[in-house]
Amino acid sequence: MQETLIEEPRTQIQKPTVRPMTEQLSAKMIARNVNAFFGKLQALYDINMDIHSNRVLAIIGPSGCGKSTFLRCLNRMHEVAGGLMTGSVTLDGRDIYETDAVLIRKRIGMVFQKPNPFPTMSIYDNVAVGLRLNGIASKKEIPEIVERSLKQAALWDEVKDKLDKSGVSLSGGQQQRLCIARTLAVHPEVILMDEPASALDPIATAKIEELIYELKKDYTIVIVTHNMQQAARVSDTTSFFYLGKLIETGETKTIFTSPSKKQTEDYITGRFG
Amino acid sequence: MARHFELELDHLRTLLIRMGSLVEEQIDLGVRAIIESNESLANIVMERDKKVDEFDNEIDKQCMRIFALTQPVAVDLRLLMAALKINNELERIGDIAVNLAERVGPLTPYADYVKKTSISLMATGARGMVKDAIDSFVNNDPKLAKKVLESDDHIDNLDREIFNLMVAHMKESPKQVEPASHVMILSRHIERLADHATNIAEDVIFLVNAKIIKHHADESAAF
Repeated sequence: MQETLIEEPRTQIQKPTVRPMTEQLSAKMIARNVNAFFGKLQALYDINMDIHSNRVLAIIGPSGCGKSTFLRCLNRMHEVAGGLMTGSVTLDGRDIYETDAVLIRKRIGMVFQKPNPFPTMSIYDNVAVGLRLNGIASKKEIPEIVERSLKQAALWDEVKDKLDKSGVSLSGGQQQRLCIARTLAVHPEVILMDEPASALDPIATAKIEELIYELKKDYTIVIVTHNMQQAARVSDTTSFFYLGKLIETGETKTIFTSPSKKQTEDYITGRFG
Repeated sequence: MARHFELELDHLRTLLIRMGSLVEEQIDLGVRAIIESNESLANIVMERDKKVDEFDNEIDKQCMRIFALTQPVAVDLRLLMAALKINNELERIGDIAVNLAERVGPLTPYADYVKKTSISLMATGARGMVKDAIDSFVNNDPKLAKKVLESDDHIDNLDREIFNLMVAHMKESPKQVEPASHVMILSRHIERLADHATNIAEDVIFLVNAKIIKHHADESAAF
């Protein structure tokens, strides 16, 4: 869903800032001076953020604050949506905007708000499709990768006897885990999640949250959520966005107990506006 | 923004303030009962302790209700944590008021002996600390809370002085063993009062500044 945008057109486009390697070594991804636009409408203002390996970063903020736009800037989906971005985003020190977009999206996978399995494909094919399209694995390897991905997504036990059934025959929570399995199959390094549990019931949500906790051992995860308790439960770091600006980033336990900015406290305690 | 949640928090604050004021009065009466050897005041204290216990239960329930229904964070979370702990301290202060009141009868034959000690001075100091600690919570005042912390050493010193003096009295004459023992116990009760006031002050600093200072944590960040 398109977020509300802030009507403050920028007149100058900023050049990407190159940061020293020492700083890049500590983070999997680094965003510097990220500004995002939809036409003349500016959605993000000078966002600087380090995304650390094997940690879960939660991005919170009210609707229209730019959190989903920022997420999309992290794997070049923003340009697919017709937007423009200035500044730099690096993955392991390399600017993702100077690398092939398809390759980048292989390394930085994405899970969306609404589960979106391919409706005409079986459960098995939904997971295998990325491997086939990208020519990542040989025919012989695919069954093994499908099984491993479904196990990683905590779905294998529930679907192993019906892999030929349609992906959309699964429940909402299972479909979302299927989409996560599809993302995992191409072996990304970073997983971006945009409200991955907002359409799910509490039990399915708990499974996704448990899964996120497990996955961070092997992946770097960024999750956008409106659910503050979810951010508190699953993340190590929390960033609060407001009106396209990054207001505060900190350890989740600090943000939810004693945030340093009043705007953050007002938002998380529900006193906003 | 007016919210249902704010009303719940306001109710919690009100309960704590009312309990604080009741406990303060209990201490006041308990100390007066000792100094004036007034058994009717002592009876009032013992009778009203039920009310303190009712507040204790009510505050616990209100905290549990807010935790369960609103999952508070940040300053609201700290208020809930502080409220639970302050409630506990206030209940214990109420119990000490009862302990003081219970000692009035046995001490009546030794009223003059008690008056010659520093018990009255110590009780006034500890009572003041309890009052300041409660005021620091009511007014969100960490400066006043810090003053409470600083006062504790004075009460500890008085406790030690009384202990040494009473031991000396006991050594002097076996007749003094009974009154001196009573005074030592009184002194220990009053010293505990000051400790509970100190704990409340620490909770207020945690609530307002998000700093943990108890157990000599030296103002480390709470989280």
